[in-house]
Amino acid sequence: MFLRLVADSFGRRPRHKLLTGAALALGMGVATAALSVSLDVGDRLAKEFRSLGANLLVTPQADSLPLEIGGVDYRPVNAGAYLPEADVPKLKTIFWHNNIVGFSPILEISVDSFVEAGPPTYSRFVEPTKALVIGTWAERQIPLPDGGTFTTGITRANPWWQVRGRWYSDASQECVVGAQLAARLGVTPGQSLLIAQPTEWIKFISGGDLPAPARKLLVTGLLETGGPEDDAIVVPLVIAQEMAHKPNEYRKLYVSALTKPEDDFARRDPKTMKPDEFERWSCSPYVSSIAYSIQQVLPGADVRVIRRVAEGEGQILTRVRMLLWLVTGAALLAAALAVGASAAASVIERRTEIGLMKALGAGSGTVGFLLAAEQLLLAFVGGGIGYTLGIILARLLGERIFGAAPEPSLIVFLVIVALAIGVTLLGSAIPLHRASRYEPAPILRGE
Amino acid sequence: MAALRTANRAMFWRILRRLFGANPGRLFVMLLALGAGAAVTAALLNLQVDAKRRLTTEFRAFGANVIIAPPDGSGAAAQGKTLPESDYGLVPTIPVNMGGKAASLYLLAEARSYGSTRSIPAVVVGTREEGDASGNARFSWQLSASISKTESNCWVGRIVASQLKVNTADRIFLKAAGREETCHVWAIVDSGGTEDNQVSVNLETAQRLAGLPGRISLIQVSIPGTAGEIERYIAMLQRRLPDTSVRPIRQFTEGEAKIYNRISGLLTATVGIVLLLTGLCVMAAMTNVAMERKMDVGLMKAIGGATRRVLRLFLAEAALLGLAGGAIGAGLGIFLSIGLGKAVFGVAARPRLIVYPVAVALTVIVAILSAFPLRRLASIRPAAVFRGEA
Repeated sequence: MFLRLVADSFGRRPRHKLLTGAALALGMGVATAALSVSLDVGDRLAKEFRSLGANLLVTPQADSLPLEIGGVDYRPVNAGAYLPEADVPKLKTIFWHNNIVGFSPILEISVDSFVEAGPPTYSRFVEPTKALVIGTWAERQIPLPDGGTFTTGITRANPWWQVRGRWYSDASQECVVGAQLAARLGVTPGQSLLIAQPTEWIKFISGGDLPAPARKLLVTGLLETGGPEDDAIVVPLVIAQEMAHKPNEYRKLYVSALTKPEDDFARRDPKTMKPDEFERWSCSPYVSSIAYSIQQVLPGADVRVIRRVAEGEGQILTRVRMLLWLVTGAALLAAALAVGASAAASVIERRTEIGLMKALGAGSGTVGFLLAAEQLLLAFVGGGIGYTLGIILARLLGERIFGAAPEPSLIVFLVIVALAIGVTLLGSAIPLHRASRYEPAPILRGE
Repeated sequence: MAALRTANRAMFWRILRRLFGANPGRLFVMLLALGAGAAVTAALLNLQVDAKRRLTTEFRAFGANVIIAPPDGSGAAAQGKTLPESDYGLVPTIPVNMGGKAASLYLLAEARSYGSTRSIPAVVVGTREEGDASGNARFSWQLSASISKTESNCWVGRIVASQLKVNTADRIFLKAAGREETCHVWAIVDSGGTEDNQVSVNLETAQRLAGLPGRISLIQVSIPGTAGEIERYIAMLQRRLPDTSVRPIRQFTEGEAKIYNRISGLLTATVGIVLLLTGLCVMAAMTNVAMERKMDVGLMKAIGGATRRVLRLFLAEAALLGLAGGAIGAGLGIFLSIGLGKAVFGVAARPRLIVYPVAVALTVIVAILSAFPLRRLASIRPAAVFRGEA
């Protein structure tokens, strides 16, 4: 009898049920979309923030004081310490290896340079242009312990480095030239550039062969960064190493890592933590705990957090996330109200029916149970359809905004179904409660 | 005829008054739904306008985004080329808390701690700053208890401090080309950037040390704004300072523009979603009302009311309700957004007057649109209603 009543109610008034179900599905769909976008947004935004470049800097521990003005290091090549390039791939073996999105070792030297145009003449060599050479990886495949490979390089670590033309390939005698330096030198892609350390020119000018540490490099592109690199020549790391007589060594390593915004806990000194606190700290991708684990795999290195980037990022991420949760909360509330109101409407409509049932001897409990069963069925169906709609909407939104769709998640589904059930039941509970106080007779009389 | 029309109009308003007065409980529910909708709408619209503006200010955490240097490229500072300090005065002042500007002079000097004979070469930066131009507030500062009143104060980078073995409140000597200055270390700073390798003094001290009075190496400007605004600002500065090279720091301007677009797109999308839901919510509430009105409509029709006039009556009711709910709700919403702005950004969102009429208008439109279900009233047959069939 119970089932028959429920089935009858759906069969007899399909349009009404459809309307309530549609309102439910629509409301829950929008709620699903808002929820999945908000759940996903933290990770997506953290990725976007990596366009600001590296947030960790690795330097040798035993290094002398860098004398950097306007991005040019004034130390002679033989001053200070270096780190072995062979250790760099170990970055992808740390606990947080999946959070490391890019890194690139750098070795800088200063050189004299000029464009090769025609046969060398003495006058051209008198005043070669002084320039900074930055040796780094343009693109490098790092083998991973699990058998895959990871592609990194300077464009991953510093995405705002843009090249007109193309990047050099790491194994060849090629380079890219900073746009401002190129304008001063009058060099364009396709031409060759001669570079050497100042002392090496003497032999060449006096008629000898091109000295071994000097290099003739093909210019493949012009680099625009808006920083000191606009005045530099960027070459494959191995060329800079050979010119500096520092084979397989580097001086700076920029690391770009996905991190969780730091809170008060993250800023504590790990040495003062209790073991369980330390575990919690090192199992959260705070920038400081990633720095700590990099330090563990790179002996002799000093890993520093680039605070201007990391802290600014953390602050903005925290705020945007809060703002979005707030808006999502508003969306969920509005969805709940809409669905609750339409559930209430569907109960009010059936006052006469309720009156009749009560007149025939049904208790308030039975009536309530019957209506609740109907609403539950509706909530399941409407919530399910709404979830599907919402996922499609979230995909569209995600693709429009971030160029990538959020993954459908089980949590969202459970939350949405629970919300749909809770809201429809709550929405119908209030009019049901009121209906239970009504006497059947006046209702049936239509009063 | 005219008298009849006046009488009609009087009757129209009388019925309307009755409609409002008949069921105060229902009126309250409708006003609540519309008011809540208007409040959410106004709060979100206001917050959105404010949040976008606030975001560009938040980005100032990254420090300077525009740099003014001598014309021959960024290496000019390194080659010892300088600008006149008067250029700094020509850069417009940036409002407090929205960025800042700073003039710096870089030089190489021998640094030595008090009581030690060993000196090491270090980069000395002299800075004159208004606001937080370089994002220094993000660094981790280890402050001294005191600031010296008798000699110039300086802060040193973490690496300089460890190499010189100085601590806060110590004294260091700086020497360049025979000129010597002393300063009181009032802070040690950990920035992770080049500041770790520098000694930072005030501009006058650096100018004395370098023997370059009235000269600076570069000016850093931190200005809030979208990518387009910053471009216009750079063009303006370049016109004002023709003998310099004004350029954006692409690391931050580009990254920021990208992130700003994402976040503002996201905000617009979610606000759109919430508005849609709010409309839905109000509509559902109004449908309820329409259902309850069957009897009234039946009666009106039975005594000769034309469908159009009956509909007009209900539409007028909906519009009035929308206006009232909107007026109250939007006001509340703007107050709400001030509180929310404070919670999220730490600064109260500035109420925008334009949001108020927009929110009220939206509410009225939603109220009228949600009277759409009333259309069904047209098909009501009075006899059926009275028989209790429909």
